[in-house]
Amino acid sequence: MNAEILLEFAINVLSMGSLYALISLGLVFVFGICQLVNYAYGEFITVSAYVLYFLGAFTSLPWPVVFLLGIASGVAVGFLSELVAFRAFRERSLDALLVTSFAVSVILQRLFQLGISPRSKAVPIPAFFNMNIQILGVITPLRNLLIIGTTVVLLTALVLIMKYTTLGVAMRGASENFVTARLMGVPANLMISVAFIISGFLAGVVAIFWSARTGSVEPMMGATPLLIGFIAVVIGGMHSLPGSVVGGFVYALIANVLSLTLPSSLLSFRDAFMFAIVIAFLVLKPEGLLRGNYQEERVG
Amino acid sequence: MNSAKSFSPKQESNKRSAVRDFIEYFDFTRKSSTVVFLIFILTAIGFFIWWLNIPFIEDIFTAATITLIMTLGFQLYMGNSGILNWSYVGYVGIGAFTSAIFSMTPAVKAMQIPTMYPFLINLHLPFPLALAAGAVVAMIVAAIVAWPMMRLSDAVGAITQFALLIVINVMLSQWSQVTNGPRTFTLGGTQRLTTLWVALGVAVLVIIAVYYFKESSLGLKLRATRDDRHAARSSGINFVAVRYFGYVISACIGGLAGGLYSHYILSITASSFYMSELFLILSMLVIGGSMSVSGAFFGTLLVTLLRQGLRQAELFLTRSGFEASGSTEIVVAIMMIIFLVWQADGITGGRELTWQSIKRRLPSGSKKRDKMIKNKKQEEEA
Amino acid sequence: MTNNPVLEISDLYVAYGSIQALHGICMEVHQGELVSICGVNGAGKSTVLKAIAGVLKPRSGSIRFKGKDVTGSKPEHLHKLGMALVPEGREIFPSLTVEENLRIGAFGRRLDKSYAADLEDLFTLFPILKERYHQAGGLLSGGEQQMLAIARGLISNPDLLMMDEPSLGLSPALVDQIFELIIELKSRGITILLVEQNAQRALGIADRAYLLSNGKIEYSGRPQDLEGSVDITSVYLGGQNGGDV
Repeated sequence: MNAEILLEFAINVLSMGSLYALISLGLVFVFGICQLVNYAYGEFITVSAYVLYFLGAFTSLPWPVVFLLGIASGVAVGFLSELVAFRAFRERSLDALLVTSFAVSVILQRLFQLGISPRSKAVPIPAFFNMNIQILGVITPLRNLLIIGTTVVLLTALVLIMKYTTLGVAMRGASENFVTARLMGVPANLMISVAFIISGFLAGVVAIFWSARTGSVEPMMGATPLLIGFIAVVIGGMHSLPGSVVGGFVYALIANVLSLTLPSSLLSFRDAFMFAIVIAFLVLKPEGLLRGNYQEERVG
Repeated sequence: MNSAKSFSPKQESNKRSAVRDFIEYFDFTRKSSTVVFLIFILTAIGFFIWWLNIPFIEDIFTAATITLIMTLGFQLYMGNSGILNWSYVGYVGIGAFTSAIFSMTPAVKAMQIPTMYPFLINLHLPFPLALAAGAVVAMIVAAIVAWPMMRLSDAVGAITQFALLIVINVMLSQWSQVTNGPRTFTLGGTQRLTTLWVALGVAVLVIIAVYYFKESSLGLKLRATRDDRHAARSSGINFVAVRYFGYVISACIGGLAGGLYSHYILSITASSFYMSELFLILSMLVIGGSMSVSGAFFGTLLVTLLRQGLRQAELFLTRSGFEASGSTEIVVAIMMIIFLVWQADGITGGRELTWQSIKRRLPSGSKKRDKMIKNKKQEEEA
Repeated sequence: MTNNPVLEISDLYVAYGSIQALHGICMEVHQGELVSICGVNGAGKSTVLKAIAGVLKPRSGSIRFKGKDVTGSKPEHLHKLGMALVPEGREIFPSLTVEENLRIGAFGRRLDKSYAADLEDLFTLFPILKERYHQAGGLLSGGEQQMLAIARGLISNPDLLMMDEPSLGLSPALVDQIFELIIELKSRGITILLVEQNAQRALGIADRAYLLSNGKIEYSGRPQDLEGSVDITSVYLGGQNGGDV
């Protein structure tokens, strides 16, 4: 194996891992605060992608504005879905929450089919995203480097927010012990709203890079990122924000290694292998790679 | 609460008490009446539809009866253990493919699915045995994979089961030598083997099985783990084992339903046993009430009627120029959320339909009921 | 003592599901008082505090705080009004540093000069917290965590400080330290509602006490009067504490 192949492999893992880290981070933010495994998260991404499609195809807005509005729509759908659907279930059982998010996901998918089209639509993405560039002899599309850069910036910003603002500190406290945080005056509704807003924001960013890679948007597109998020979250630990980032990169590493090493006859089973690894992981190490300081308690 | 009575007083071990045990176990007005009512309602509808002799309606009824069997198997685990089993439809798929492979003749298989392993091509069983084989294979798969997952609960448990569903789905959709891969698997060479009467007959057996499972000591233990895992454990119930057996039996019924389904619909793909199917039976169970067999029964009945009505409306709208396909799922999903918010135990309230519950609603019984409520109120006040 | 009590509870009923935990509790706490609630395990002591702090919703009855009816309010709202609870088992945020734990305790407060002054003041009470200021709460010892939990309650300058079993699981030396601290807090004029299983110690420092048994108040009044009647003591304070009274 020479250096170029190694570098190419590294770029692939890092760019994929960056995207997956953002996906799983969006899931964990909500899970950490209200113990909800949000099946509708994939649809947050789809909504943003549709906004990108509509603004890109039917308006002549400059692309930074389109991107900002796409992200804003992710934030809006995250915030609103919590307000409309999830708030009523806050004190119910975990399964009720899960089933609700499943139902919300189905409703959104059918609405896209009904209101837009069951067929996929091409998302106009600025050309420089897919421009090939050469670094140290390796040719790669620019979007791979852009996602790495974006992820570094976002993660740094999130770390600063979570560490140095009162809201961030309160979020971390609430995800460790929700009831005690409330006893200290941290408002429950605010925490949960903020968690959904951050989740929607990340979904918006993911939508940009996801549709840049696939080039299109369709009603069911949220399913794949959702599954990736699940795996990454499980690998990294459900209760740890850094864990979910690590999980995203580990997932990208395993997926790339499997792609390289599996014989071509078994390549179509890659997802089955991935999920079998996930199950083994959950059975052997239910707390994930990084264990958060979560205490058994339900949101009240 | 019902089944607490089914424990016999041990001190009297003569014949009379054995008979009384037997009668108590099948205590008609309080328990067995449920089974009789459900079977009666199902059979009555079946006969009526047979008498109507409209193929379109017969098809709807047969499909609904197969769905009922699926929902009953789903209820067996979810209702008693309180755990939502996301992987359940995977076992339905396993049963569907397995029984199809067994029931088709080698010649047809060789023609339809040339990629299939030779030893599978040569397998052949008559239809009833092929159905049983589907159920057994689904059960074996569940028996092999389930044990280590049973101690996981809450979010981790849910994701594990979800991941398992995806593994099963990928296997079904990619294993060309067994399932014809992503292409459609067509059961050529036979007429529709799952007739109205076959589906009805199996449904009757499954209603009996699921109901008496709930009343059995295993079912009682499983329900105890649902209500309080720690208390159940400290009273000597091995919750992993109890859940395991419930899960495996549920997978077995799922496999059986899958076999009926594939011999009804005659062409299947892995995607027939995935999210939308799961969503369908989940909506039936939630709307009907997951805690009772009657809930699964009436949920299936209600949602089927609702969906058929909506589908007709949808077709009408589409014909008149409105794009409406998919709106049925939206309505069902919204109904499900509404039920979860206001009536989390579904239309049955988690109770069974029994002779007593009917009597209480009859005019003559309502006085007694009023009195009971009054007494209860007084007790509460005291 | 003013006529208007800081906290006034009347006829409070609380249930966990179908299990009734409190049967018509009435109590009051006045400005500057140290009131102690005693009773055996399961008598409902913690339930009283949880109901006051808004963690549990009462089935009936009313809770008035500073003259306002706050029955059924949310915990975050009650904190804003001036209640602080030092929860049972300390409930420190383990991965957050001491500084961050205190910041959550001061949620809703501007981190300005008065905050810094209050913090300095707290450090004179709890010098160990200054030393450990940048360490994770989960790495502190049990006693240090209890200090942190109390400091986290005090940093919001509450009008009523409620403490749930502050001596639980601590060594005798540390228990002494905690009780000295409570006396110091009382001398600073802080109104305190103290739940303690270590009844003898609690009664020793309290102005008034309520004795709880099976969710009902069995006795209320001055601790001196209570200790006079030996039979009550031995029944309700448990063997090891009541035996040597």
